[in-house]
Amino acid sequence: MMVLDLLLAIQREHDAALGFRFSCRVAMCGTCTLRLDGRSVLACQTPVPRDRDTVRLDPVAGLPVLRDLVVDTTAFWEEWARVTPYLVPRDDLTEPAVIRPDAKERQLIDPALDCIGCGACYSSCAVSAGSRDFIGPAALNRAMVLVADSRDAAGEERLAAVTGEGGVDRCHYVYGCSAQCPKGLDPAQAIRRLRRWRLRPRSSDDGR
Amino acid sequence: MTGVDVADVPVVDTDVLVVGSGGAGLMCVLHVKAAAPELDVTIVSKGAVGRSGCTRMVQGGFNAVLDPADSVDLHLRDTLDGGRFLNDQELAHTLVTDAPKVIHELETRVGCFFDRSEDGRIHQKAFAGQQFDRTVHRGDLTGIEIMGRLRDQMFRVLPNELEDVRALDLVTDVHGELVGLTALDARTGRALLVRARIVVVATGGAATMYRIAAPAKEKTGDGVAMCWRAGLPLRDMEMLQFHPTGLLAAESRMTGAVLEEGLRGAGAYLYNARGERYMERYDAARMERSTRDVVSRAGYSEIMAGRGTPTGGVLIDISHLGAGEVERRFPGMVARTRQIGQDLATGPVEVSPTAHFHMGGVLIDPDCHTEMRGLLVAGEDAGGTHGANRLGGNGVAESTVFGSRAGDTAAAEASSRGFGEPDPEQVAASFARAYAPLERDAGELPFPLTRELKDAMWVGCGVVRDRAGLEECLASLDELTERSAQVSVPGPAQVNYAWQEALDLENQLTVARTVVAAAQLREESRGAHYRADFPEQDDAAWSRYVVLRRAADGSVSSDTRPVEHTRLAP
Ligand SMILES: Cc1cc2nc3c(=O)[nH]c(=O)nc-3n(C[C@H](O)[C@H](O)[C@H](O)COP(=O)(O)OP(=O)(O)OC[C@H]3O[C@@H](n4cnc5c(N)ncnc54)[C@H](O)[C@@H]3O)c2cc1C
Ligand code: SF4
Ligand code: FES
Repeated sequence: MMVLDLLLAIQREHDAALGFRFSCRVAMCGTCTLRLDGRSVLACQTPVPRDRDTVRLDPVAGLPVLRDLVVDTTAFWEEWARVTPYLVPRDDLTEPAVIRPDAKERQLIDPALDCIGCGACYSSCAVSAGSRDFIGPAALNRAMVLVADSRDAAGEERLAAVTGEGGVDRCHYVYGCSAQCPKGLDPAQAIRRLRRWRLRPRSSDDGR
Repeated sequence: MTGVDVADVPVVDTDVLVVGSGGAGLMCVLHVKAAAPELDVTIVSKGAVGRSGCTRMVQGGFNAVLDPADSVDLHLRDTLDGGRFLNDQELAHTLVTDAPKVIHELETRVGCFFDRSEDGRIHQKAFAGQQFDRTVHRGDLTGIEIMGRLRDQMFRVLPNELEDVRALDLVTDVHGELVGLTALDARTGRALLVRARIVVVATGGAATMYRIAAPAKEKTGDGVAMCWRAGLPLRDMEMLQFHPTGLLAAESRMTGAVLEEGLRGAGAYLYNARGERYMERYDAARMERSTRDVVSRAGYSEIMAGRGTPTGGVLIDISHLGAGEVERRFPGMVARTRQIGQDLATGPVEVSPTAHFHMGGVLIDPDCHTEMRGLLVAGEDAGGTHGANRLGGNGVAESTVFGSRAGDTAAAEASSRGFGEPDPEQVAASFARAYAPLERDAGELPFPLTRELKDAMWVGCGVVRDRAGLEECLASLDELTERSAQVSVPGPAQVNYAWQEALDLENQLTVARTVVAAAQLREESRGAHYRADFPEQDDAAWSRYVVLRRAADGSVSSDTRPVEHTRLAP
């Protein structure tokens, strides 16, 4: 039984008004995030601990609660928006790029790509939750992906943005983000990489 | 008496209103903004923008002709063969012609990156029911890449996003000209009226109304029900696709989640509890690679004949490819099975047919026009493209192709329509209906009714149907409809999912009734629609599609129309 099943049972049998979000129930939408005994998890993918009678559920940290476990995710997406999160296609990108699956850039990008915007990293990051101006792990991970993408034309500006105010230097490397990402992404590594790229912008390390 | 005073309801005016933020909805927004940046676009989305609906959940991939050795004619032939020639051939033709353009756009403008072959070009894999390997994908979680990147694009084109807002009813002026729609802000519980020059409905169909079902929570037929109430004709409503391999996870909500079709494409075997590869008896030539309708019915028949597992399933096994290979090619599916204590990489996994996709929907033309001026419909809410059975990989192609076309149409036509004055009676009636469950002091909660609906549809109007079962099912729906008109939910109105469920239930019941009605009419078996009492396909009598329509007085009429073979004859 997953935490989501528990919530649905409570809603059906005890408290019809209980507020919680979900959509896909298979780890693809990223809307069911909450904290189970303090850890940020997807409700649909996390079994209810069997060794206890009670568990503690809280809404994700750092975002305003609308009701019960439902939060307003606006702040998370505002940070996302700050890194110019969309591809700015190079002028010569008129056909799908020919890039071998074992190309260095794909080795950087592919493991960092399946972010579902669940905010578990944000919720478990003391800096994100505590201050309004840190761009945050998910958005920085997105920025790394785009900076590494040879199809994108805005890499240098994006790099400047994420290494400036509120950017990578705010990270204290507590690794809460990478430990709690339900998709196995490693935002902390993305942040480290961005720092390196700032220092050696034209170097060929990491395939850039 | 409703607590909503129509005169006090806030009004939002927008040039183009897009209802739904799945593949169809967001492609539509992009295309409006590309063709006419000056137009103001508003998204109304019941779930999170770009993170609700089924496009997000697409696993297997997207069919498009990219290889010079393939051809759109062949893709069309596969689509019509799969659809048992019930398709609207102009829609199917549009689908296959535009799909390569959309892949091109997704790759070069939207920022998607699909898996590559060794030579660095887009990889295309085998999918059941197709003569060419033409399915573009990103691993086995393609929808995250498509919707993730489309969501990112919204930060570039900046539409007005009304998230957690539910569209209720289309509203016209007193002469019947479309004005916009009534809506409900689920966060605040407040009523809202949106007026637009063009309304695009893309809420993604209704396949959730079955005991075992695959889709996302929001897909409760809202768009189709809305169009139905507005008097628009629906076609092929009996054509509800069951995916052959839904997970069985006991009482968990994970039950019904799909194990993707690529598994069968890659060579997975299906066994019954006796260890027989039972597809031999149903389609010896294509075996597990047969189309969804055939494989679903085979599994269902094995289970019903007592050859299923104790919990009512059959077994899918791909472990003969080797655990490492399975983990590499199907990481998402492996994770999904491990989640429920099974393991696709090392052994068989229990599955059952699961309600997956609705081929039926609103009648449209290739530019997404409907009978109502100013109203466009795109994606799974529309009917006709897939006929009696959808090919795996043609669904996300449909939503993005027709979403794009709806955007182009909206951009071209917005300036030809102005803002009308909504008929106050319609507005009042819509809000009265919506707020009633909240205002009733006593009554049942909606949850048990939803469950009964899903059971009734599963048993009476599911994978195999017959006259007696359909009649019984309709009787259950009648009873549930009466009870649903009396449900009551506790307040407050803010963020109240019990209330939302009551509104979902009403739409599900509305659509379910049309599914049963059409299933009763079609006295033959074709594609997803199988009648045990008419087991043969009857081309002489039934090269026809069923059209249903509701009149203003609530009466329902039906007619059947001959399929026009404008491109290919069977
Ligand atoms: C598990 C699964 C796997 C699939 N895999 C594949 C595949 O591999 N290949 C393939 O081609 N197809 C696949 N499909 C089918 C495919 O997902 C659909 O055909 C297609 O994505 C539907 O897109 P859409 O835009 O019409 O609707 P959706 O993407 O479902 O979006 C519907 C939107 O409408 C919103 N909405 C609903 N009601 C309201 C309302 N009242 N007011 C406002 N907004 C509302 C929702 O919040 C959501 O944003 C799969 C489907 C499922 C369920
Ligand atoms: S990086 Fe991981 S934890 Fe953070 S939003 Fe993305 S998927 Fe969620
Ligand atoms: S419900 Fe979608 S990730 Fe949990």
